[in-house]
Amino acid sequence: MNVPVHHFLYLGAFLFSAGLVVVISKRNTIMVLLGLELMLNASNLNLVAFNRLHPGNLQGQMFAIFVIVVAVCEAAVGLAIVLRIYQEYQTSVPDDVNELNL
Amino acid sequence: MDAIHTYSFFFRFCLVAALAFPLLSFALSFYISEKYSWITSVLASFLLLLGTLASAVVLYQAWNHSPFTYQREWFSLAGYSFSAGLHINNISALMLFIVTGVSFLVHLYSVGYMAGDAGIQRYFAMLGFFTFAMQGIVVSGNLLMTFVFWELVGFSSYMLIGHWHEIPAAAEASKRAFIINRVGDAGFLVGLMIVWAHGHSFDIAALQQLPVDPTWMTLASLGIFCGIVGKSAQFPLFTWLPDAMVGPTPVSALIHAATMVAAGVFLLARVHFLFTVPSLHVVAVVGCITALLGAVSALAQHDIKKILAYSTLSQLGLMVVALGAGSPQAALLHLFTHAFFKACLFLAAGAVIHTLHQAQHQSHVHFDVQDIRNLGGLQKKLPFTFLIFVISGSALAGLPFTSGFLSKDAILTALVQWKGEGFSWKLLILAAVALVSFLTVVYTFRMIWKIFKGTETATARLYVSEPPAVMRAPMAVLAGVSLWIWFSWNPFDFSGWMYVNIGEAKPFHSGIVSIASAVWVILALGVAYFTRQVAFGSSWLLNAFYFDRFLKQFVEKPILQLAALTHHADKKWIDGFLHATAYAQLVVAHLTGWFDRAIVDGLVDGVAGAARGLGSFTRSFQGGKIQLYIFWATFGIIIFIIWTLL
Repeated sequence: MNVPVHHFLYLGAFLFSAGLVVVISKRNTIMVLLGLELMLNASNLNLVAFNRLHPGNLQGQMFAIFVIVVAVCEAAVGLAIVLRIYQEYQTSVPDDVNELNL
Repeated sequence: MDAIHTYSFFFRFCLVAALAFPLLSFALSFYISEKYSWITSVLASFLLLLGTLASAVVLYQAWNHSPFTYQREWFSLAGYSFSAGLHINNISALMLFIVTGVSFLVHLYSVGYMAGDAGIQRYFAMLGFFTFAMQGIVVSGNLLMTFVFWELVGFSSYMLIGHWHEIPAAAEASKRAFIINRVGDAGFLVGLMIVWAHGHSFDIAALQQLPVDPTWMTLASLGIFCGIVGKSAQFPLFTWLPDAMVGPTPVSALIHAATMVAAGVFLLARVHFLFTVPSLHVVAVVGCITALLGAVSALAQHDIKKILAYSTLSQLGLMVVALGAGSPQAALLHLFTHAFFKACLFLAAGAVIHTLHQAQHQSHVHFDVQDIRNLGGLQKKLPFTFLIFVISGSALAGLPFTSGFLSKDAILTALVQWKGEGFSWKLLILAAVALVSFLTVVYTFRMIWKIFKGTETATARLYVSEPPAVMRAPMAVLAGVSLWIWFSWNPFDFSGWMYVNIGEAKPFHSGIVSIASAVWVILALGVAYFTRQVAFGSSWLLNAFYFDRFLKQFVEKPILQLAALTHHADKKWIDGFLHATAYAQLVVAHLTGWFDRAIVDGLVDGVAGAARGLGSFTRSFQGGKIQLYIFWATFGIIIFIIWTLL
């Protein structure tokens, strides 16, 4: 099966946009983190897809693996923060955490 | 007279006291409670007695010495200084004493006459003020100061004539007296202005040194004479005097004898030097017309007080004729003698009215007690008043052995001297004056006859008793000084101690005139006896030739029409112009108001609003919302990418 590269790029762009929309529009922090994962994965998809154009070069794929690792860590740290915030303020909506804003 | 007489402190004190006591009486009258208003009358009389004593000291010390003058700056205006000053010479010292003395007697009389009157405090207050104002004219050495007191006299006469202001006639008469005096005073003011323009001084002594400019002097003196015509009730401004009879009788006595009308003659004598020959002729003619008019009108009157009022008119006319003939001495002598006998006549007439009123109250019979047709046969009931009436009436008529004979003789002598040789219009005036003195005898004795002789008519049923002693005493004093002895030792020679000391002219006495005068009045007495029953009932005479109606028709009406016209013009044009200006200003104000609100305020508000909008716009980026930051960051990146790519 030979899928042209730009189809992957379209999918990546769509995923990235969807992630961005989620990050911006969702009120819950967990959903924002989900959107972030979506965006990271969209970029991973791009990195992997570009290998098609340069078959000998594995730097992109390595970078994608690296991104996955970092994303895991980020998700772990992020969820930990969300948990702490939830314990502290009984909410996971970032807009409601406005102690410094007032 | 000695060259320079130094006046003691006591003299100055008495001079001030003579003026201060009447003023004090005026002031104190307001501080006594209504309940004890009888104190006012007694206190006022007492103060006036003190004033009389003080003025007697002034007269004694100033008599036949060099004049006492006192002058100090009153105010200065536009670089000119206006002074106020006193000038006491023989004439003013004597006049001061007579004014204060007659006023005291009138006060005393009023204690009885006005007892029980509701406005007694106001009455005595104004009486005191009236006296003070007149004294001010007498002692003033300055025409401006004279003018001020002149107006005060006018004001207080207004208050006193209108004392019973609830009677419409009294209110009307007081207004009339005031307004007619204002007409004359307008002329007086013009005269004063001309005098000032020429001499830059109002000081009477300084004006005597003024170089004479015939035209302007004539105009100035005629202007001042206008004021005198108003105040001394000369033709054509005399109509207020008979009308003023509605005031209380003692007030009439004061007005006619010493204060109001005497002021004019006194001033005329004082500024006699200002009068040029043509203006003196005018003075003589005006006086002559007044004298004739008054004498003829007095014949036909029925009201006691009206008869006396018209007789005052004619006597004042005689004084003015004497002044016009250039003899202030004769005029002043007549002024002084007239002051006593006319005050006495009024007080006697007041006594008749007062006692009859009292009697009417007891017997509940009502008729007009002032109408001599209702009176008669009172001699038996009022013997004392009758005696007073006869003495003072004889003085008015100018019978020998009275003061009136002396002063009338002086006037006739002055006129005989004045007319000179040969025939001229001056002879007519002499004839008119002779006729006036004849008529005076006739109307005086007709009046006395009607009141005291004849048959009793309406008074027959009344129980009439003599007035109280407090009223009889002033009458007795005044009747006493109506005799010749006080003015000259010789009853047929007027140039006694008083006459020779009140002027510079050499005494000129003609025995022929005296004898002719005596024969003339005795002849008149006979005529009066035979015509006592004849009624001079002409309505022309009764109303003084309808002169007031003439004034109404030919002066009042055009003036009122002119006033209506100017009123209309004022309303339509002046007010219209003012309203248009105001309206235009309103429009401009509205325009500028709109400009201020819309443009100026709008600009400021716009700047503020722009700053506020910018602030809230930039603040919206810093909302503290994480996702908004992300949105803006993304948006910025997108813009950046589009911008770099294109």
